[in-house]
This record gives sequence, structure tokens and C-alpha cells, in this order.
Amino acid sequence: MWPGTWRKVLAGLSPVSGAAVRVVKWLYCPVGKRDTIFALSSGHGKCGVAVIRTSGPASGAALRSLTGQQELPRPRAVALRRIHDPSSAETLDRGLVIWFPGPHSFTGEDCSELHIHGGPAVVGGVLQALGRLPGLRPADPGEFTKRAFQNGKLGLTEVEGLGDLIHAETEAQRRQALRQMEGELGQLYQRWSEELTKALAHVEAFIDFSEDDNLEEGVLSRVDAAVQTLEEEVRGHLQDGRRGEWLRGGVHVVIAGPTNAGKSSLLNLLSWSLNSPLAPRSLCLGQRPAAIVSPVAGTTRDVVESALNIGGYPVVLSDTAGLRETQDAIEREGVSRARERLQRADVVLAVLAAVDVAPEPGCLAEALRAILPPGVPARQAPCVLVLNKADLLEEGRGGALLGACGEGALPPACLLSCKTGEGVDSLLSLLGTQLEQMCGDPLAGSPSLTQARHRLHLTSCLGSLGRYHGYKSLDLVLAAEELRLARRHLGKITGRVSAEEILDIVFRDFCVGK
Amino acid sequence: MFLLRRRRALPPAPLPCCRRAGSDGTAPRWDVLVIGGGHAGTEAAAAAARSGVRTLLVTHKADTIGQMSCNPSFGGIGKGHLMREVDALDGLCARICDQSGVHYKVLNRCKGPAVWGLRAQIDRKLYKENMQKEILNTPLLTVHEASVEDLLLMEPEPDRPGKCQVSGVILGDGSRIHAGSVILTTGTFLRGMVFIGLKMHPAGRLGDQPSIGLAQTLEKLGFSVGRLKTGTPPRLAKDTIDFSVLERHMADNRPVPFSFLNEAVWIKPEDQLSCYRTLTNAKVEQIIHDNLHLNNHVRETTRGPRYCPSLESKVLRFPNRIHQLWLEPEGLDSNIIYPQGMSMTLPPELQEQVIACIRGLEKAKMVQPGYGVQYDFLDPRQLSASLESRLVQRLFFAGQINGTTGYEEAAAQGVIAGINAGLRVSGKPPFIISRTEGYIGVLIDDLTTLGTNEPYRMFTSRVEFRMSLRPDNADSRLTLRGFEEAGCVSQQRYAQTSRLKAALEEAITVLKSLQFTATKWSRLIPEAPISTSRSSLTSALDILQYPEVTMELLARAIPEPLRKFAEWRELAERLKIEAVYEWHVASQQQEIEEVRRDEALQLPEDLDYFAIDASLSQEVREKLDSNRPQTIGAVSRIPGITPAAIVNLLRFVKTNRQRTEHIEHSRIGRASPEGNTFGKSKFQNSSLSCTS
Repeated sequence: MWPGTWRKVLAGLSPVSGAAVRVVKWLYCPVGKRDTIFALSSGHGKCGVAVIRTSGPASGAALRSLTGQQELPRPRAVALRRIHDPSSAETLDRGLVIWFPGPHSFTGEDCSELHIHGGPAVVGGVLQALGRLPGLRPADPGEFTKRAFQNGKLGLTEVEGLGDLIHAETEAQRRQALRQMEGELGQLYQRWSEELTKALAHVEAFIDFSEDDNLEEGVLSRVDAAVQTLEEEVRGHLQDGRRGEWLRGGVHVVIAGPTNAGKSSLLNLLSWSLNSPLAPRSLCLGQRPAAIVSPVAGTTRDVVESALNIGGYPVVLSDTAGLRETQDAIEREGVSRARERLQRADVVLAVLAAVDVAPEPGCLAEALRAILPPGVPARQAPCVLVLNKADLLEEGRGGALLGACGEGALPPACLLSCKTGEGVDSLLSLLGTQLEQMCGDPLAGSPSLTQARHRLHLTSCLGSLGRYHGYKSLDLVLAAEELRLARRHLGKITGRVSAEEILDIVFRDFCVGK
Repeated sequence: MFLLRRRRALPPAPLPCCRRAGSDGTAPRWDVLVIGGGHAGTEAAAAAARSGVRTLLVTHKADTIGQMSCNPSFGGIGKGHLMREVDALDGLCARICDQSGVHYKVLNRCKGPAVWGLRAQIDRKLYKENMQKEILNTPLLTVHEASVEDLLLMEPEPDRPGKCQVSGVILGDGSRIHAGSVILTTGTFLRGMVFIGLKMHPAGRLGDQPSIGLAQTLEKLGFSVGRLKTGTPPRLAKDTIDFSVLERHMADNRPVPFSFLNEAVWIKPEDQLSCYRTLTNAKVEQIIHDNLHLNNHVRETTRGPRYCPSLESKVLRFPNRIHQLWLEPEGLDSNIIYPQGMSMTLPPELQEQVIACIRGLEKAKMVQPGYGVQYDFLDPRQLSASLESRLVQRLFFAGQINGTTGYEEAAAQGVIAGINAGLRVSGKPPFIISRTEGYIGVLIDDLTTLGTNEPYRMFTSRVEFRMSLRPDNADSRLTLRGFEEAGCVSQQRYAQTSRLKAALEEAITVLKSLQFTATKWSRLIPEAPISTSRSSLTSALDILQYPEVTMELLARAIPEPLRKFAEWRELAERLKIEAVYEWHVASQQQEIEEVRRDEALQLPEDLDYFAIDASLSQEVREKLDSNRPQTIGAVSRIPGITPAAIVNLLRFVKTNRQRTEHIEHSRIGRASPEGNTFGKSKFQNSSLSCTS
């Protein structure tokens, strides 16, 4: 079961060695039984401090040559050192170094960390210097984690959490990934695992013993109750929404609406204002836009995406073609892609031109229905109504329009002008509220699912728990089999349980044997 | 020296002076020599003889052959499964039980046929008589009464693991008997020690001498030996018990035979004896608590089982409860009652006190006190799956000596050891039952890869593929293999199983092909609550799953072509069971394949886990070294072996293999053929999955 998962885990890990590392020429020199790997383990791009890690038997030697000192720093204590290029003796930087002798390190091997200044020249220089040392090579993607895993330093959930940590680009993601690393999700699953194992053990005891050994009355009915409780908890957890996945991949926010409502302008406005929050909004129009805007209806023909960070939540914002009947084949394709994207949207930003709807606010609901995917009642759809081109409205009409929105069964709405940038704040705060509702505060509430894999196994587990009840009246062996299956599905997250452990519970809880 | 010989004299009596095969080229006098005449020994000797090799059974008291030294019953949940499998391989105990039982009962009747537990109270005297008759009438099998003091050893065969090989035994009188393979089934006799109260004395069984010489030999050879304890209850005089106040438990009205060969058991249903149930009380608990200082067996630190084998452990571990005691008859004309659940090691006078305060037993006379036994057992991880030891070639171990408890567990190992000892002599590959094929496979795999630190007992919960490995289908799982690969199955049984198997397959095909709409089915079989909302067609096999539906009912609705299947009672019963599990068994098939693939990934026998250059922790190395898993499947079942360790181990063995192949390749200029350990293609084709 797990090797497949393992491959998936590795595939999911982000490359710890980036492009900058790959151009480094490194000398291959086989030392000992295993290479020593190194990588920039903080994010790429400009940052104040960069962290470079090494792992493997030559870590100590590498640290000695970079610092030019024979003494290694005290294990697991931070030391300030001058960092040289051993080949030229040139000083590259002054930074903090930490020495983690194995096995008490992240990978279980000898490891070191160099915390240096984040400029590309410094980072590149240190990486190149490391690459020239004997026995060192740049790490493959996920290789640190793989080594940690192989040396028994990480369980599956921890590896996955770590994958998230490496991916973490926003604050919220990082917080959630950390929580998973610390095992909160693991603890929840572990508790379920224990409860399910106990339920299974009691059914097994009932099968193997109840006839001559006196198992107390009511063993099976207690199991039924336990299974039911577990079912409810797992179901609740699954219905938590796709929180964890949103936090990982970003919530898909889709801008949709009729042609020329200003959808692409909104995308540009949001991308720009969020990426340079300090710049005055009016400058927005001078920036290189993500999407082409023009007064010609039907300019956007494909889906344009932009990754944003709204209130700490990762968002993938997509602009779509305006929805209208058209003879143009390319535009028709664009509209169908827009519809498709809408079907998959987590949040819809329905954009309407305020001037078009102002005369008849009663038509708002109808206009909205034309945008939202069919079958979703307008009130329940995670949707924010954006009334654009507010600058074109007559004085005072805006308030009336919003009032009309509040009366009807309509989603939260805001007035906005892409031209002046007015109303962006209220849109962002509406959107932020929406995202918080969907994703939850990653620091509070129950730990969310971060892995589609977990979801899959939990769903299978739930299915088996449900069938347990059905089979119970037919054949207890079939019912027990469903519990075994449920346990196995959960075990793919928490680790398997052996027959001996089941028997431990049987003999602990019942007086059986002769 | 007393010599018993089977009636048809074949071959001539063994002479102590016969020579061993070897440098001088003479054949050994015996192919297989079995030490011990208990449940493992008798099965082993008979299985070896059935498979066509000349077999000698050496026991120090021929009169105790087939003795049931503890409880007067056979079978039960899990144990009944083992007996069915022993029978499927033409073993003895199931057939003998069908001739000797006095109370037959199928346990778990209401829990699904996969866990039905065939059990019977057995007449001790009859069982022993019938077993001795059977053993003495087995062609190629000879019985010899003597004590075995030592093993004859010689240089090992070079291409196999082991530091020497066994070539025979030295008897108590110093004479030597040579044999191709030797099977040790000495039960609790290795340094056996009997405990009653504060008294203890060396004995294998009350009144029998322990084997000390053999224990020393095994230790000298370097076998790692552990110590276990077990016990047996006092025996009571039947005519002193007041049964009128006790709960009576009747036998089944239609006794189900253990053996596939029998349609009925020997006894008339109405002649069967009853069992009775009584209960412990606070007074019993008090006596035990007050006298712990007089109870060496209970206080001793020797590891006992996690379950509660004795009344003392029940009371100590689960205080303030009422425990059940079963009063079981020991035979038709026996005046002895076996109080199941009352194992005690208190001094006899206190045992009498305990008995006297139990309802129905107030005036009961204790015929023999209960006692505890502590004995040496051999760490079964030193054995391969054929039950041959890795340390000494051609030396096999079976039964309680391997750390198991129970007649059935012993018998199951006996059959396997007997078959394999014979195959070993004939130079044929071993006969291994996989975990996916039988309870016997689970038993032996658990023992040989995980070892045990309590007397190992079979439970259905140990079995991953419980829905497939049922008592009803043991014959279709094992009989054909036993006939074809081990030659231990008679022609008659083989023919019978083949016929039944063919009929089953035909009937299932027919049942699957009979498809009607739910509406039609509910009209045909109004007895079943068939949901008519289903629009797709439903097969007769699906309909047979309904608890209300039987083959008889189906055949009444659709006489052609079902009548002939329904009229064959045994077939009809088995079809019903097949129908219940059909869907689950089919969906488990893929998993079974996965396990088989893992089991196909064999590890080299001589791997030095401490020396290999793989990233394995010391702890894992120690586990691998002591458990000596033979396959990756077995590795994955060792607790505490992490996925990472398996990956590393695999990577090591795989790269090593490839390196060897590479060297061979460059040396002989061609790719090496796929070996039986880690053939490269085998490796690549296999999914390296944990199994559960």
C-alpha cells in the first residue's frame, strides 16, 4: 500500500534545489556510502535571509572548510561565522551556522544549516562553493525528506505536512503545514484509528470467543454505537469542505459576467493592488496588466489566471470570456471554457456593470442567474456580486442599488470602479470574509484535510463503516470484514495494525482462554 | 525394548546397528524418523508414510500414542478450521474424532459459515484406541518404543544453510538408528517441570519422565530455547456431581463430521452425552487470593499467555466477576469429568476447597489435582516454512515444542513436517501452504517469522483472508495440491474432491447464468424480501445470498437445471455458503495476489543482516536477524519494521543482485537466468506492497 503513496509523496514535494542550483557545476566525488546533498531550503527570489542546508557524511567537512575553522560549532547551537570560498579564500558572507550531528537531525544524517544574507550573489556564491567540495552534490527534489523518511525520521503524515511546508507560500499555508508537522492531524487520525481498532477487536473477540467464554452482554451493541460515532466524526471531517485542499492549491476564484462588464479590468486591479499594496491605486492603469482590456466586447477569449494572496489565503483568480451568444468560433470556445471554469469555481465574482442594472434593480437576480452555473441557488453559491463602473453612476444611485441587493435573495454585493480603484477595499473585505468562511482560520478549529489522499481513504473508510451495519444482520464475518477494510483504509494514513495488536486488545478487555 | 510393528510387515524390523548413508553409499534404514507419539508425532509419522517413505515413530511409551493429555475435546473456532485442513491433506485427527466423539457441536452457528467452529467432546479411551489402530495399520510406518537421548550428526550439505545435518538418533540404551530426516515432536517433555502448589518435580506430563538429554543436545547445537507454562484442571468423579442444579448443554441433533470423507459420525445423535455449565463465585476468588503464597506456578516469572489459561489468572486479572466453568465428559463409560476453565496449581487440599464451594460440585470428589507444567520450547523463528531447522539440516520440529498450544495446532504442524521430511529425503521441493491458502499457512508463517512468547493458539482473527479460508472449502483448497505435490492424499479422496469441485464449479456457472428481473424473482421466490426496485437482472447466485433462500427453494422454483444440485445435500450446502461470500471473496482476490507477489520476493537465506551495507537501524537488523524472514511478504509482517527499512532492504538486495548478475554477465558473457531469489524480472513485476 505505501510504496505507491511514497511515490506520490515524492512527486508532490517541491524541488528543494532550484534553477540557481542546477547551473552550478559540481564535482562528483564518491565519499563513503552516501553523497552529501545540499540545497537552498528557503524560498527563491529576494529575501532577507536565505537558508542553505546540507545532509550527509561530508556535512561536517564542508562546514569546516566553509568556515575555515577546524572546530565545528557546538551541536544544535547557533554560531556566527565568516563564510569563505575554500578555493579562493574569498569571504562570501558573514552568517549564522548550525551543526546537527546525526542521528539527531532532520534527516538522521549529519546536517548543517547556513543562514546567510538573501542576495542572489551571496546565495549563488555559497552554493557554488559547496558544489566544489568533494562528496557534495545538489539535492534532488525532495531528497532531504526522502532521506529523513528512509532513516525513519518521518511518518507519512509528517512527510506530507513537510511537502506542504515546502510549498507554503503564504502565511496561512505555512501555519497549517506546521500544525500538521506537529501532528495535530496525525493525532486526530490516531484517535480514530484507536477507536476503530478497539471496535474491530471487540467484534473479533465476539467471533472467536463468545460461545464458551463469557463475554459480557452488549459487546456488539457497544461496537455499533462506537462505529456510528466514528462515522459521524469522519463524515463531519469530510464535510469540513475542501478547506485543506484550498489552502494548498489556492481557492479558485472565477470572475464571470456579461461582456464588457469590466472583468479583465477587475483582474488587473486586484492583481496589481495586492502585489503592490503601498502604491496609489491610480497608478494601476500604468502597470503592465495581466489581462488585455479594451472597450471592445469579447476581448477576453481565453481564461487568464493570476495567483494572489488575499488576507493570507492563496487564491487563483481567473478572468473568463464574457458570457454571450456569439457567432465567432474562437469566442464561442472562450465562452465554453468560461462556463467550464465556472462549474469548478470555489468562489464566483459575478461582475455586472452598475450602469446597466441601475435602472431596474429587480433584474439583478435574473442577471445573476445567467452567470452562475445552473442548478445552484443564487443564495447558496459562494459568490460576491461586483457592481463595476460605479464611477458612471449618477450621484446617490449607488446606495439605492446596494440597498436593492440587500433586500433580494442575493449574494453580498459591492460597488466598485476599476477606473478609479474605489471600492476595492470593500470587495477585498467581502472576499476575505468569504475565504475565511470556506478555509477557516488555519490556527483555530479542527485540523483540516490537506491531502486529497487522506480524503480518498477517509471516504473509503466511511463507506466500509456504513456497510458494517448492513451486513451485521446477514453475516457477522462480512460485517467484521467491513471493519477490517475500514481499518485498513485508515491505516493507509496512520499505519497498519497487526493481528497481534488486535489480540492484545481482546485479551486486555475480555477474560477469555482456557 | 518393546517393539510394535504395523501388521503388514513392510519393511523389516529396524536393526540398531544399521548404517547411515553417506561415504559408504548404503541407504539409511529409515527415510523419516519421528520422535514422539503425540498429536504432532502421529500426524507427522502418518503423513510421511502416506507420501511413500519408510517411517519410524519412536516413543518412550507406545501405550501413550494418541493420548489426549489435556482436555477431552477437539476442534473449536479456528481449531476446527485446522482440523478440516489436516483432513484435506488426508491427516488422521478428523477421522479419528468422527469415530470417537461423544458430543458434537458446531460453534458460531449464528455468525456466518466462515467462522463455524466444529467441535466435539471425545472419548479419550476410544480416541487412543482408534489412533493406535490407525497408526499400526498405516503401511510403511513402524513404531518403536524407546527413549531418544541424542542426535547423530554429520557434515552439512554444502549448498544449504546449516552447520551440520542430522543422520539419526541415539537411543536410551546407546543403540543408533539412522534416518534421512528426523522430526522432533516432544511436546512439553523438554525439561518439563510439573508444579502443584509449592511442590515441583521434573515430568513431561504427570507420571511421565521428561527428556533431558535431547534438551541438552539442542542447546549445545545452539538452538535458542525459551520457556513456557501451561496447566490442566483437576479431574472430578462424575457420580459425585449434582448435575440437577446445573445448566445442561446438549449436543447437535445432527452431528457434523470433521472429515470430508464421512457423511456421518459413528454415534447416534440421541446417544450423545451432555455438557454442563457452572459458575465461579466470590468464595472461589477469596481462596485464590488468600493462598497466592502457596502457588509457585502463578508467581513464577516464566511468561504465560496474555489470555487467561488458569482460574488464578482469571481471578487476578478480572476480579469481582463470575467466570464460567464447563463440566465435560471424558468418555461414554468414564466416571471422570473435566472441568474446563478450572486449571489450578494450588496445593491439592486447597483445590478441593475451591471445588467444594462451587454450585453442583459441593460434594464432588477430586480424582486428580490440577497442575501446571513449565517446559522448554524452541524459538520457531529458527525454522523455515517447511518446519526444517536452519541450524541442523534435515531436522524438523512440530507441535508444542514450537511454542503452540492445542491438539489441532500440533496436528497441523505434524502433517506439514511429515510431508516435508519425506519430500526432503526424496529431494523434492518443500510443500508450503501460504497464508492465502489456509489456517495452517497462517499458523506456520506466524510461528516461523514472528515467533511467539506465549503458547500460540489459532484464532480466526489472525487470518487475513478469513472469508476465503473456510471450514467448508478446505478440501478444494488443499486436497488437490496435497495429492499432486506431496503425494500424501489417497486416490479415493482425490477423486472425491475432484468430483465435488467440478460439480461446485458447474453449479456456480449455472447459478450465475440464470438471470431474471427482480420482479420475476420475487414472484418465483416469495419467501425472500427481494427488492423490486432494481432494474438490472439478478442472477440465481445473488438470490441465494438471501438468508431466506436455500438451494432447495431455488430448485423448487426452477427445477431445471437446479434440481440435481439441490438434491446433492453437501453440494447444496456448500453452494449456499459460496453465494454468501462470493462477492467479497472475488474482491479480495486482488489482495491475495498482492500477498503472493510479496511472498514470491524471496530473501537469500544466508543474508548477514549485521554486515550488509544498507541504511538499517541496529534494531531492525536485530529483528531481521532473529526472525529470518524468507520473503518480503514476511518482512512486512514483522512488527516494528518500518516502510523505510523495507525499501532500504529491497534496495540493497536488488542492487546486490544486479551487481552479481552484472559480474556473472561479464564473466560468462550472457545474462544470468532468473534465480529463485530476487530474479530481476520478478522484482520488477512485483508491487512492493505491505499486505495489510
